[in-house]
Amino acid sequence: MAKILGIDLGTTNSAMAIVEGGEPKILENHEGARTTPSVAAVSKAGERLVGLLAKRQAVVNPKNTIFSVKRLIGRNFDDKEIQRDKSWLPYEIQKSATGGMEIKMGERWYKPEEISAMTLAKLKADAEMKTGEKIEEAVITVPAYFDDSQRQATKNAGEIAGLKVRRIINEPTAAALAYGLNRKKNEKIVVYDFGGGTFDISVLEVGDDVVEVKGTGGDTHLGGDDFDKRIIEYLVVEYKKQEGIDISKDPLALQRLKEAAERAKHELSTAMETEINLPYVTSDASGPKHFLMKMTRAKLEELVRDYIDRSIDLTGQALNEVKLKPSEIDEVILVGGQTRMPAISGAVKKFFGKEPHKGINPDEVVAIGAAVQAGIFQGDVKDILLLDVTPLSLGIETLGGVFTALIEKNTTIPTSKSQIFSTAAENQTSVEIHILQGERPMAADNKTLGRFILDGIPPSPRGIPQIEVQFDIDANGILNVSAKDKASGKSQSVRIEASTQLSKDEVDKLKQEAAVHAEDDKKKKELAEARNMGEQTIYLAEKSLKEAGDKISVEIKDAINAKIGELKTVKDGSDIEVIKSKTAELSMEIQKIGQSIHPPHDNADEASK
Amino acid sequence: MSLIIVSIMTDDLAKCQKERDENLEGWKRAKADLLNYKKDESKRFEIVAKFSQEGLIRELIKTLDSFDLALAALEKEGKAEKGIYLIRAQIEDTLRQNGLERVAVSVGQPFDPNLQEAIVSVESDKPSDTVVEEVERGYLLHGKLIRPARVKVAK
Repeated sequence: MAKILGIDLGTTNSAMAIVEGGEPKILENHEGARTTPSVAAVSKAGERLVGLLAKRQAVVNPKNTIFSVKRLIGRNFDDKEIQRDKSWLPYEIQKSATGGMEIKMGERWYKPEEISAMTLAKLKADAEMKTGEKIEEAVITVPAYFDDSQRQATKNAGEIAGLKVRRIINEPTAAALAYGLNRKKNEKIVVYDFGGGTFDISVLEVGDDVVEVKGTGGDTHLGGDDFDKRIIEYLVVEYKKQEGIDISKDPLALQRLKEAAERAKHELSTAMETEINLPYVTSDASGPKHFLMKMTRAKLEELVRDYIDRSIDLTGQALNEVKLKPSEIDEVILVGGQTRMPAISGAVKKFFGKEPHKGINPDEVVAIGAAVQAGIFQGDVKDILLLDVTPLSLGIETLGGVFTALIEKNTTIPTSKSQIFSTAAENQTSVEIHILQGERPMAADNKTLGRFILDGIPPSPRGIPQIEVQFDIDANGILNVSAKDKASGKSQSVRIEASTQLSKDEVDKLKQEAAVHAEDDKKKKELAEARNMGEQTIYLAEKSLKEAGDKISVEIKDAINAKIGELKTVKDGSDIEVIKSKTAELSMEIQKIGQSIHPPHDNADEASK
Repeated sequence: MSLIIVSIMTDDLAKCQKERDENLEGWKRAKADLLNYKKDESKRFEIVAKFSQEGLIRELIKTLDSFDLALAALEKEGKAEKGIYLIRAQIEDTLRQNGLERVAVSVGQPFDPNLQEAIVSVESDKPSDTVVEEVERGYLLHGKLIRPARVKVAK
């Protein structure tokens, strides 16, 4: 079945996604980027350019490079927003015969939907190239506050681009779909969308299978670009103070500064401090000048504090209008690249008193949601055979009481895994297979599912027998565990019915326990491993002594025996470091056996002659 | 009586056969999906491997830019030593071996947004919409443009 494209047609950037194998995923454009600038242009040579290419020539062709067309689509020329935007948009706009508007690009006047269609057509073509399939249908998102005329115009843009628009959906609804929140009945959701050029706040309510927009708010002229501008302004002013040079007059220097400012902004989302380092940024009569400045997260936050405060005020206003208190909101979703800034997610969290959803890339979440809606139309969701996963890890107990997982949690079933184990003692003729389920590293802390004994293993030194343990879970969650001694061919198995039939609560409880005890458990496991290592070293030492017999001196023997004694006394204690150091000492001592039997040759060349 | 039984059995058999066909079809599809996924995955892995160093190379390009600017400044003062050019060539060589190529820009040629980014338009005796000066080099990594050449364009 033909794919339906999910499109987030943004003011500054657009993104697209499809559902593949039941999962929504972002499609990269022809240039290999995950978002495409919503820009169209006619070059001086008369060529039509869309996306990044149009953006690259904007500086030299401002009158014929059309951006932010989403601000114009479906509106009347006399709207006060249009009159305001007209004053700063560098291209020409005029009233059309129907009261709408027309934009001049190259030699022609275009309707806003024709310009939007150019971005959509590029997305369509790039998606077709990427998937190798013809794409004829799309789901396109619009802001929740778009009226009928704006929605119709957006739909028309899709049709002009050769796409049958299956549905126009709201951006916040798409975000909620991406997080699967449409299934949560009677919940109230706030979507806080801080994009490049606009800030939108939407209050949603999930009813029976419908997501209703209760209220909207925001500022169509507040976005991440304002943050960048603030940073650049600050850097320019500081530089002037330091060096007395106005760097903003030099286009290359300004370009480098812009990139550096953006990079600093991104870095300060994770680091507390960053350095802006631009050698040879400009020059004056005295010679080349460099730009070196430290910027802290605190400084960045101070620079844009009023923008963040304003967004929170607007959020409060939007809630007031629908008579809701922040505490009555069940879920909060962050959308837009700017929400990666910790000060923003922090302010939102503080305002609502709960952790906002931010797991999906905030630049892509709307397109992902559009694809989810497209997937519902496509029926992809239904076509897929639902396969279960194992909720917890399954494995066996190994030396020192350690839990060794064979099938990790969240593995899709049916599946089977096998691993070779061996014996822990000399001449061991039987092994116990203790089957467990859980996330804790020590066997004793996990749930026992069953145990059995494999015997008849021919006597041999420890570590020699090869026992293959196989775990097999069928589609019904029934676990078969078998153990087979490779030498004798003897095998034994057990069938466990209830391996995946834990209730959700039980699984959550076990996972929680694992998280709570993570630190303790790690130590216990380390201790068990250190003891195992110690025991192995003792075994090796004793074996080496026996093998060496009279070939080594009594002093070496005594020294080794002394170290063995020391290790034996500490190995059952609980001090990991002591066990490790005593083990290391014994290992060093054992090496002397080899050295005394085969003295090292100082002159290898001599020996080879 | 027996006719009814036969008819029920025929119905059951038809149902079973239908289910069998569906299951077989589903199984074949699942197998094919897996094989195709493996193929796609190995193709994707090749691309990932090819471009795994893109982030690092992008950062290094900035260092190269600074190097270019430093060299230009030193040249002006007549202090550019041969050794510095050699170090620059070393860095470029290493990057070239890893798939990096310079975007060729010639002054006087028409501005090409496929490979170039205009950072300013200037008065010039050159024809309109042609490149007046390359101010920052552009680079391709395995044929993909990772940084356009930054140019001044004639008004």
